[in-house]
Amino acid sequence: MSKPTVGIFGLTGCAGDQLVILNCEDRLLDLVALIDIREFLMASSENDTVSKLDVALVEGAVVSKRDAGRLESIRERAKILVALGTCAVWGGVAAMDRGSDRRKLLEEVYGEAGLSYDTQPAQALHELVKVDLNITGCPIEKDHVLAAIANLLNGDLPIYPSYPVCTECRMQENNCLLVDRGQLCCGPITAAGCKARCPDLRVPCVGCRGPVGDANAESLTAMLAEKGFDRQAVGARLRTFAPAGVAQ
Amino acid sequence: MSKIVIDHLARVEGHGGITVELEGDTVGSVRFDVFEGARLLEPLVRGKRFDEVAPVLSRICSICSAAHTLTSLKATENAFAIRVSPQTELLRELMFRGESIESHALHLFLLVAPDYLNYPSAIALAADKPAPVLLGLRLKKLGNLIQEVIGGRAIHPVNAVPGGFGKAPAIEQLIELRSALMQGVSDSDAAMDVIASLPPADFCHCDTVYAALRTPSLDSYYEGDEVMAVSDGSRAIVHATDYKLLTNECAVPHSHAKHSAFREKPFMVGALARLTVNPRRVTGKLAVAKKRLKLHLPADNPMDNNKAQALELINDVERALEIIEQLLRAGVKDEPPVPVQPRAATGTAITEAPRGLLIHSYTYDAEGRITAADVITPTALNAASMEMHFRKAVEQSAERDDATLSRKLQMIARAYDPCISCSVHLLRRQ
Repeated sequence: MSKPTVGIFGLTGCAGDQLVILNCEDRLLDLVALIDIREFLMASSENDTVSKLDVALVEGAVVSKRDAGRLESIRERAKILVALGTCAVWGGVAAMDRGSDRRKLLEEVYGEAGLSYDTQPAQALHELVKVDLNITGCPIEKDHVLAAIANLLNGDLPIYPSYPVCTECRMQENNCLLVDRGQLCCGPITAAGCKARCPDLRVPCVGCRGPVGDANAESLTAMLAEKGFDRQAVGARLRTFAPAGVAQ
Repeated sequence: MSKIVIDHLARVEGHGGITVELEGDTVGSVRFDVFEGARLLEPLVRGKRFDEVAPVLSRICSICSAAHTLTSLKATENAFAIRVSPQTELLRELMFRGESIESHALHLFLLVAPDYLNYPSAIALAADKPAPVLLGLRLKKLGNLIQEVIGGRAIHPVNAVPGGFGKAPAIEQLIELRSALMQGVSDSDAAMDVIASLPPADFCHCDTVYAALRTPSLDSYYEGDEVMAVSDGSRAIVHATDYKLLTNECAVPHSHAKHSAFREKPFMVGALARLTVNPRRVTGKLAVAKKRLKLHLPADNPMDNNKAQALELINDVERALEIIEQLLRAGVKDEPPVPVQPRAATGTAITEAPRGLLIHSYTYDAEGRITAADVITPTALNAASMEMHFRKAVEQSAERDDATLSRKLQMIARAYDPCISCSVHLLRRQ
């Protein structure tokens, strides 16, 4: 049987999710032996940019017409399109204030030249094309991307945690940063899968994996308001990695 | 008029290209194009509280995320006049070394070596010659292990916070790191041998200005707040608070990265610049390695940055081992971060990211909310120097065919180890 064809792509982001793949040092050579990587610009100077793909792994958000055009052509080529990382799944940090006046920000940062740049408010992939699998995380977890590839090779989709970071944190018997220490921790509304990495180090969760399915942000905000946190500041923090209004 | 256009630079981080215009044999305009979308993170971070800034601005770049995080924290701490503990300083220096080991190993073995050996990728190279790729992957993993143990995660570290660390590493973890680093000593020697054995890349020569952090102790990526620029025996010093002198910005239409010049000359930052500015670092084992690599300082060939990284790999492993020995001797305290008392102030920090000087400068209000953020990255600082070397390479090439010229241009671009996601953050209105 011929190996499944795969493309690994980056739109606008930090390339961290592609780097997670390259960081699977112990498995990288075994992994590339199982699949036929047709396009991976970050790692190869010889790329097939037209053939059909069984799987496309796409990281980054769409912040320009150029990104949108690339995403559409990837979608056309790929049987299965996987959104890799919080930017691709939710929009990520570039989308945090996408309601703000972008022209004003562009002009402020880049001067008049900025107004001619190809740029638009950051969007998650699913806002433009059909996405078949979301792997969230900023960056994604190694185990999650390896599980995805192993499952896809067998014609399955992987299953990721559908509970909040809080659950993982409690399982590790940590003291609660939110209740016990009154710190602004996003654990209750953030998708698990990181083994509560931050609260386990006594650092509050910043919500980098995006909201969990049944997130109750209103109840968390109310609880934090009771503890003396400014509602607006809490709202802004909860929207740092996933803007309001990006439903999955 | 003819043109050499490299649409999409491969084996680098981010989206960029090269355009060179030729009038017969005369080189016209030369451009390093940046296609990376503007994420506007600096204005978007405005209004965030001091402890929310580093987690957002580290997202500028994954490969240098530890450097972005630690430079961000240093800028914030400078604004609030916080002195972190000696243990925190050591742990942060260790994170820098881990990141440098990972980044240099990735760059030299996965991105650069295929060029010299005529392969399109490390994957293709590994199919024929697995040994150098496996060696590079081992070193890369070592760098990541250091970052995981100290920073809590290899990409976008979470454990470093304003004033210190969330949790100090356990002694057993440091002992585990020490044994991994022992293997790293022989691996980094072997890596240097591989780089020394690559065919020479001798096609671009010119006088170059180098700029790097001048450190009070002999060897640090994190201490210090002065930049020294060196050219041809003359030297100049710029203090962190005057960092804008380094970035005589000129907005260019073809790129979101603004171009830098010091006293009207482009300058190069990175491993080669660090060794040129701090030559006293190169003693003992490093002096032997320098000879073996045939590296002469100051160098007139930008490709020597690859050799300088190989030399730094040895140095980084040695330095990381020293730091761990020091921590184990002193014992590691599980100390809480130094408490932050916000005040209205500006703080600027300069450090050495794997690819060179990195500057973060912030202004805070009295409540500790950020009102302005300015980030200047090594790739943006290098853009003008890269273009200068592109021009020289084309001018100095006896072969005029597109394929040869294009190959030379790409090899120079990769020698700079550009990080194009980073470079977006430099264009400023004057």
